[in-house]
Amino acid sequence: MEPALALQYDFHTVREFLFHPIIIRALRETMIIATLAMGVGIVLGVVLGVMRVSRNPVANGVAGLYVWFWRATPVILQLLLLYFGLRQMIENDLFRDNWTRFRVAVIGFGLNEAAYMAEIVRAGIGSVESGQMDAAKSLGMTNLQALRRVILPQALRIMVPPTGNEFIAMLKNTSVAFAIGVTELLNAAKIQAARSFNYMELYTVAAFWYLVVVSAFSLLQAELERMLSAGERERPETLLSRAMSVMGGRRGV
Amino acid sequence: MSPNTTRNRLFLVASLALVALLVSAACNDDKKTPSATSTPAATNTPAASGTPPDVSGVPELQDGKLTIGSDIAYAPLEFFQPGTETADGLDVDLAKAIGEYLGIEIEFVNAGFDGLIAALNTDEYDAIMSAMTINDERSQQVDFVPYLNVGTGILVEAGNPNDIQGLEDLCGLTVAVQVGTIQETMVRTQSDACTDAIDVVVFDTNPLAVEDLKTGGADANLADYPVAYLDAQESDGALEVLSAQLEPEPYGIAVRKTSTELNAVLTQAIAALQADGTYDQVLAKWNLDSAALP
Repeated sequence: MEPALALQYDFHTVREFLFHPIIIRALRETMIIATLAMGVGIVLGVVLGVMRVSRNPVANGVAGLYVWFWRATPVILQLLLLYFGLRQMIENDLFRDNWTRFRVAVIGFGLNEAAYMAEIVRAGIGSVESGQMDAAKSLGMTNLQALRRVILPQALRIMVPPTGNEFIAMLKNTSVAFAIGVTELLNAAKIQAARSFNYMELYTVAAFWYLVVVSAFSLLQAELERMLSAGERERPETLLSRAMSVMGGRRGV
Repeated sequence: MSPNTTRNRLFLVASLALVALLVSAACNDDKKTPSATSTPAATNTPAASGTPPDVSGVPELQDGKLTIGSDIAYAPLEFFQPGTETADGLDVDLAKAIGEYLGIEIEFVNAGFDGLIAALNTDEYDAIMSAMTINDERSQQVDFVPYLNVGTGILVEAGNPNDIQGLEDLCGLTVAVQVGTIQETMVRTQSDACTDAIDVVVFDTNPLAVEDLKTGGADANLADYPVAYLDAQESDGALEVLSAQLEPEPYGIAVRKTSTELNAVLTQAIAALQADGTYDQVLAKWNLDSAALP
């Protein structure tokens, strides 16, 4: 007779898969897609964000429409549209050979991210006092010069924390790329679980790696925020800066 | 009223609304919508001869209903009739015949293939009927009642541009399969034996894997032969299935290892349906006479 509550957990499986090449390769895939997509999102997002605050109705309208579409539809639908939808519509070998699932994942997540980044950039620019623009212009700067040299650097400090959040969300959301056949961390674990039926163990392995990557990134982000607070009266300490000072490293002034 | 209390009230109202929402969502979750329910009277398969076994001693059938988990995206074995939520297919018809023979209702629940066995073992349904091939790994988890003999088909672009004749010819190519299927294992095992590995692309459902082949993302799709055959037929000449079937193996109705009574009753039902011709009739309806158990 089995006990009423029999817990089954196979540590051997966890140990076998924690550093298994299949899992590590999938982790790499996750990080590469998320990083490249974030790059696309940030570049396009800054352009769209600036368009959003511009007084030009065309630029403003186009950016508004973009943000509306990419924010109002689920990213999994966007990936399906971009991959299966376009490949079905465009029966061209050159297109199909180049429109690979990996590229579609990077482009799809990037285009989606750009909509959210545009809103972050818009809020960042909006947070800089309007008098700053007038002051920059009174020094003879053009609109674009003032934006680049005065407004954006100040807006950056406001924009970094939410951008870090976006990246963390992106790292986790890449798992929906399974819909178009991309095997990243969570789905590599899922595939292995489906073969061995060790669901709990393999989900633990995936959770472990998400925690490691997101924790490492959070440390980096805190350090970046500390560096960006140059000129503030007091720089907040971060875990990393404190660790460095403990180890004898010099703290920036 | 101070702004502070206003905010507190707003917060209270918001939290209450959230709680209400969560509770209602949780309740809805409990009421899983059955994808197909059939009462014994609703089917028109002829009644099997012989005395049906007494099902009163079968714990799973105390409610007069057999709940079956299935990944209903695998025509012609199980699929939703286009534009409906009515499950159809050979597995569904056979289950209905079993239900009629035993005097119970049959209910199909749609779920992802790779999670079926785990869900059965956590009591989400009483059995699995989902074109599931019996193999060693699965047999360690659940028991099977065999009911059909089906091999694997290789689906390729019409004209077979890569000249694929068997598993060995898949080396160096991209092959789309469904997660958790014997075909996934088959392709990965073959890949390990290749000098030039197979790029195995895995999808949640088989139709997505077929779509990937159709749009040139993959060079081949492996699925159970009747499924690959139907996909080729319905592709308007875009796809073809290789004539040779790989490794014919029996499908089984999966039940929990503890469900010995249910196992016995289902085994008896299949035997009775074979004896009175109902089994052959169902197979003939789906053009799968050749898949009959020996």
